[in-house]
Amino acid sequence: MSPRIAAALGLALACFAGIVWVVARGQLPPAEFTFNNDTEIKSLDPAIVTGQPEGRIIEALFEGLVRLGPEKREPRPGIAESWTLSDDGLTYTFKLRKNAVWSNGEPITSQDFVYSMRRFLDPLTLAEYAYQAWYLKNGERYSRAARSLAVGDPVEVELHERTPGAREYARGVVLRGELIEIETDADASQADLADPAKYVELRTFVVESEGRSRRFRVGEPGAARAGADSCRQLLLDFSEVGFRAVDPYTIEMVLESPTPYWLQLVGFYPLWPVNQACVETHGPLDWTEPDKIVTNGPFTLEFRRIRDRMRLRKFADYWDADDVRVETIDALAVESLTTQFNLYETGKCDYITKVSPITARELVKADPPRKDFFPAPQFGTYFYSMNVTRPPLNDARVRRALLLSIDRTEIIATAGSIETPAFSFTPPGIPGYDPPRCDDTNLAEARRLLAEAGYPGGEGFPKIEILYNFEEQHQTIAELVRKQWRRGLGIDVSTRNEEWQTFLSSTRQLQFDLSRRAWIGDYLDPNTFLDMFVTGGENNQTGWGNEEYDRIIDAAKYEGDPAQRLAMLARAEEILMTEGPLIPIFFYATRYLVKPYVKGFFYNVQDTHPLRYIRIDRGGVSR
Amino acid sequence: MIGFIARRLVWMLITLWVVFTLSFFLMRAVPGGPYASDRQLEPEIEANIRREFNLDKPLYEQYWLKLKQVASGDLGSSTKIRTPVNRIVSEGLPVSGALGLLALAIAFAIGLPAGIISAVARGTFADVALMSIATIGIALPNFVVAGFAIILFVFVLEWLPAAGWGSLEQLVLPAFCLGAPYAAYVARIARTGMLDVLSQDHIRTARAKGLGPLSVVLRHALPTAMLPVVSFLGPAVAGIMTGSPVVEQIFAIPGLGWHFVQSAINRDYPMAMGLVLLYTGLLYTMNLLVDLSYGLLDPRVEWD
Repeated sequence: MSPRIAAALGLALACFAGIVWVVARGQLPPAEFTFNNDTEIKSLDPAIVTGQPEGRIIEALFEGLVRLGPEKREPRPGIAESWTLSDDGLTYTFKLRKNAVWSNGEPITSQDFVYSMRRFLDPLTLAEYAYQAWYLKNGERYSRAARSLAVGDPVEVELHERTPGAREYARGVVLRGELIEIETDADASQADLADPAKYVELRTFVVESEGRSRRFRVGEPGAARAGADSCRQLLLDFSEVGFRAVDPYTIEMVLESPTPYWLQLVGFYPLWPVNQACVETHGPLDWTEPDKIVTNGPFTLEFRRIRDRMRLRKFADYWDADDVRVETIDALAVESLTTQFNLYETGKCDYITKVSPITARELVKADPPRKDFFPAPQFGTYFYSMNVTRPPLNDARVRRALLLSIDRTEIIATAGSIETPAFSFTPPGIPGYDPPRCDDTNLAEARRLLAEAGYPGGEGFPKIEILYNFEEQHQTIAELVRKQWRRGLGIDVSTRNEEWQTFLSSTRQLQFDLSRRAWIGDYLDPNTFLDMFVTGGENNQTGWGNEEYDRIIDAAKYEGDPAQRLAMLARAEEILMTEGPLIPIFFYATRYLVKPYVKGFFYNVQDTHPLRYIRIDRGGVSR
Repeated sequence: MIGFIARRLVWMLITLWVVFTLSFFLMRAVPGGPYASDRQLEPEIEANIRREFNLDKPLYEQYWLKLKQVASGDLGSSTKIRTPVNRIVSEGLPVSGALGLLALAIAFAIGLPAGIISAVARGTFADVALMSIATIGIALPNFVVAGFAIILFVFVLEWLPAAGWGSLEQLVLPAFCLGAPYAAYVARIARTGMLDVLSQDHIRTARAKGLGPLSVVLRHALPTAMLPVVSFLGPAVAGIMTGSPVVEQIFAIPGLGWHFVQSAINRDYPMAMGLVLLYTGLLYTMNLLVDLSYGLLDPRVEWD
């Protein structure tokens, strides 16, 4: 053999050995339960994430004061073994169980919860869900930091320097005192002073602390102006927030107003505790690494392979470990709906969260009927929103005419299969709440309204445009709606698609006439849908506002009687449905597939299936 | 030769810098940002996120900071998956590499013999059949090949797993789908090269000496016929690397390809930048290696 051929052979062998080595590193014994978690998750830090895939894993790794049941989503004791509510509906007192421990063996005390709540509300934590805790007294003010402060408020000033000997990622030294003056910069314009994003850049804060007054600027060290010290943040004193440890095993929460769904939120992962020592030792990025993370839930994290899978293992010292029946769980990160369906069909996956609309259509028709596919209404609405700052959509009659000339049945038959037509914004399924319905297709009335608005037979109607983010289903629906309006009203509508991020920025800046949108409820209450459309609400994004509507939504917050409160919300929704800026189209339906041997898995409108309750029973045949 | 390599490495640095600059400004020219979500954020939180990723600073300062960071070998931290990009690369690159290497091996293992056979048997049924298949192979995108392959090998024959990572079995289909179009290219190039060589004088001499047809083809014609095939290696590696996102997604392979696509969609600036630079470096290196291998295969080539 010539040296050249030997070299070539050697190279080929080395390559092959390399491939085998890389593949061998990926080899694993299968887990007891494998499911697909849709995508690679953003983080395992409960405070900073917002997505469902993150939620599934975090709810298995961590535990809050309460956790929600798998079927009815009712609050069940978690780290708290019991709780009481004061008669005015404002003060919750939680008693912690004494046998709950972190995965590093340390006991869980109320101090852990106080630390985590403060961290969660701290704007430097970058918690996008922080508003979920704003039902706590002064929670919102704490999150808004300096912008919420007024002269006379007790404040905490976080300095840049750290206490000597503190952990590497601990907070800076905190000074407590009273805010005695807010000075605005003389050279700043009125417009800049009113801009919330520039609030701290243009102000000096005078704080009296330990008997002397000091001047602070919020910002980078060294950037401070003459005569002022620089600090990282200026916040309301956390002791003003309605969340405190009464003793090591008692927590008291005081709310802004009686909030009937507060326990639902306490059972929602963003409000769950993290381990202070772990976070402060490793920092915001690294503490969630498998070899560093400290958790307190039914499972621990064994490893995480990016875009492949995460493996969870039952935590033997979990306080209710006897009730956790699965030893290992694999959460795959497969994004393609077709691929996950293939994995499910070939038995590599026991549960997939959704199938594509096309697959769903075939599965519904399957003969014999599938025993593992259960389409049912879900807590989310697909709707069109209208920009009321642009004519002709500023005319309520035009909006109503458009709403009345939509044929939802045709839309679902063409672009979906298992969804249910939506005649309200709030989906059905909230106990005690029967959403007021808008009218179904009524072309005669629609034409009359359009004529009344000055466009008889669609004549002279300005050209309007439907904006949607690019996805096949949205496109089909937009084209269909366009056809229905042309057919029914004789008006000319065009469609435009944008890539997701461009779409977001267009809708936010009100650069559209009509836009496709969807909203999935965060908690089982109409408020999660309705408070979105208050005047100037962050997610309103239509320019619409109605004083009566705002008044009702606000008054409902302080209404103590649950039935009365829901009646008020229904009145608000009625306003939204008659003159509001939206056209509900359909309610989403669950599209998951789960193998019959998976037990402890229940349908609920939120389509949430906590891993903690899952058990595998291959002995039985039917579910 | 050392001077040649050194010169090329200097050019590589310049190329990387140009690519860095272009991508940096292109990324920031499109609307959106890493903090954009369908829920509007509080101004405090948005401001802090912007500060964390230096997005609050003037563009030239961001550019300078990022350039310094990248030059020190730190690609920063992904905004979408809160993990250092360096770690994502170190986990994903071996996977992508293994997939690419196997795809390349399949492309050459199928393409070379097919090309040689159809050149030697020029004009026969075998030639026409092989070249027709090759033309179809070039025309079909790999996700179409993947669809058919999955139906056949996974659901009808049940020979191979549908997707996933962790065994050689799972790598066969994706590597085949990724390599198939390249096998077709290789076959066509090898055939042309072979035909070219077979008509030359030294082959006639070899035949006249009384050598058997096998010996003529393999010992005298093949080395020269390989030259165009080797020069195709550069673009082939480029194509396989950048073509892998689709295959990676269909077969749920945790390589880098899909990150590449997603990071652009998510406006994950650090990740997109890191991968663009990585791919640039990789492709440049591959082309350099191909140029160097010319010298080994063809004595007429000199580096200078």
